[in-house]
Amino acid sequence: MERKWSVFSVFNYTFLALVGFSMIYPFIYILAYSLNEGKDSMQGAIYFSPRKFTLENYAEVFDNARIWKAYQITLMRTVLGTFLHVILCTLMAYALSKKTLPGRSFFTFYIFLPTIFSAGFIPFFITLQKLHLINTFWVYVLPLLFNFMHIIIIRTFLQGIPEELEESARIDGYGDFQIFLRIILPLSGPVLATISLFIGVAHWNDWFSGAYYVSNKNLIPVQTLLQEMLTEAEALSNSMQRAAQQGGQTVGGVGGAGATPESMRMALLVITVFPILCIYPFLQRYFVKGVMIGSVKG
Amino acid sequence: MIKPRATNNRLMKRIWQHKLFYLFMLPGIVWFFLFSYVPLYGIQVAFRDYNFMGGFTGSPWAGFKYFEQFFNYYQSGDIIRNTIIISLMKLLIGFPMPIILALLLNEVRMIRFKKTVQTLSYLPYFVSWIVVVTLMQRLLTPYGGPVNDFMGTMGAESIQFLNNPTWFYQLIVGSDIWKNIGWNSIIFMAAIAGIDQQLYEAAKIDGAGRFRQMWHVTLPGIRSVAILLFILAVGSLMSAGYEQLLLLNGPATASIGSVLDVHAINSGIREGRLSYAAAVGLFQSVIGLILVLTVNRIARKVSDVSLF
Repeated sequence: MERKWSVFSVFNYTFLALVGFSMIYPFIYILAYSLNEGKDSMQGAIYFSPRKFTLENYAEVFDNARIWKAYQITLMRTVLGTFLHVILCTLMAYALSKKTLPGRSFFTFYIFLPTIFSAGFIPFFITLQKLHLINTFWVYVLPLLFNFMHIIIIRTFLQGIPEELEESARIDGYGDFQIFLRIILPLSGPVLATISLFIGVAHWNDWFSGAYYVSNKNLIPVQTLLQEMLTEAEALSNSMQRAAQQGGQTVGGVGGAGATPESMRMALLVITVFPILCIYPFLQRYFVKGVMIGSVKG
Repeated sequence: MIKPRATNNRLMKRIWQHKLFYLFMLPGIVWFFLFSYVPLYGIQVAFRDYNFMGGFTGSPWAGFKYFEQFFNYYQSGDIIRNTIIISLMKLLIGFPMPIILALLLNEVRMIRFKKTVQTLSYLPYFVSWIVVVTLMQRLLTPYGGPVNDFMGTMGAESIQFLNNPTWFYQLIVGSDIWKNIGWNSIIFMAAIAGIDQQLYEAAKIDGAGRFRQMWHVTLPGIRSVAILLFILAVGSLMSAGYEQLLLLNGPATASIGSVLDVHAINSGIREGRLSYAAAVGLFQSVIGLILVLTVNRIARKVSDVSLF
């Protein structure tokens, strides 16, 4: 198709370029801010790159015992939670993909029903209390073990694997479990990668459980810590910045020599977002398929 | 009476043959029971004076006391109104946005450009609301934030965006669109890709320009997907997005920013009024269910597309 640059095309490309820019710019800005000397940042006027480059903010962040602890909790729950979620959902999905399984539609309905009518937050919270999960590490992992949509996405994928493969493996003397382990799992790479991304991101980004189910300071994940800093720092940094802008005088160091609560917060933000930023472009083609299966055929 | 027994035996045999698969499902069956069905059973705390020792069934009945308490609460009218306003704005402004993005991306012929914009547009979906709110706060501050600086160079006065009733709804809806537009457009992109190319050829032969092709071929092609997603979106009209509102709503905006979810969470966990909060939550889910069923029925009547 040949086409000249019409007015519409020019408008369209410009508009979409602006959309793309607005999606990435906040992250560029934060990166620049986090790499700039904290006190200097308070004068503003940092847009694309740091004015006084320093790694001090990051040094301060990694020096902070609380942040280390929180990062550790987040890493642990993400790795453990993702691993268990993917294994268990795959097992369930594989069973549900067997058309010969007696009771298959009953079990599918059994896991579907709660997605259209759920109990709401409070009964769920009380259940967590009764299970003695409140204020434990497991409150991060156990409630996220299964997800109806993810099971359906995996099941749809598994149903696409030709049955002949299983037949021939059976002739070779494989049992059900060996077939699952040696045939099905190795072929499921793409869908397992997609689900891992979905659930991994959910674990990584969850601040709510940390804020409402846990009061033990040693169990707070990084996002909840960021939320606490958000509330604490808002008032503080605003007034500090106002002072710096109006008077130009330096404000007494809260962190290290040049780091401010605000610049540390930006460094923390960057290390929170960075892992996701690195992973998701590589998994893109898989998760696009995953979303389609999930929403059209689910 | 021999026959039924024979089939019974056959069924038992088939079940036995599949024993490993039941074992595979066992963790899931137990999990859904514990984390979905037990809470469903626990809905009754909305009608009881809940105390921890008594649990779901041992606490005394309270009838509709907590529902009355909610409706008599002087702010309940405001809270319901705020919830509906915020969700309606998200629905009416936010719902068409991914469709528009998909349509515009579909007109792009430079594949590299298209892929880049798409990849960038998914990015915000993968960061948490905490990160989004922190970004907003940093970008929009009048004290050296780039947005206000930029407006300053254009000659505009600087604005305190956050915690400001004048800008509250714009920020709520805007940040919601920013976070979700790319992700929500995936499904529409897929639907557009599935449209038969011959339809476009035919339309072109009939003399349809680009906009007429869009109107008569592309839009009808994604109609059923759009209706399905719309029904689902209407179902959540009573929940305005608790994460976002817990974070963005401050004292200055409380009168227009308090919503049902946040009210339930705060009165339940912060104040420990579990039965009251459960009643608020139940009110919310029942209205949500009624809305889905109603919209579903209307959609089935006028368009033959429905959820069930």
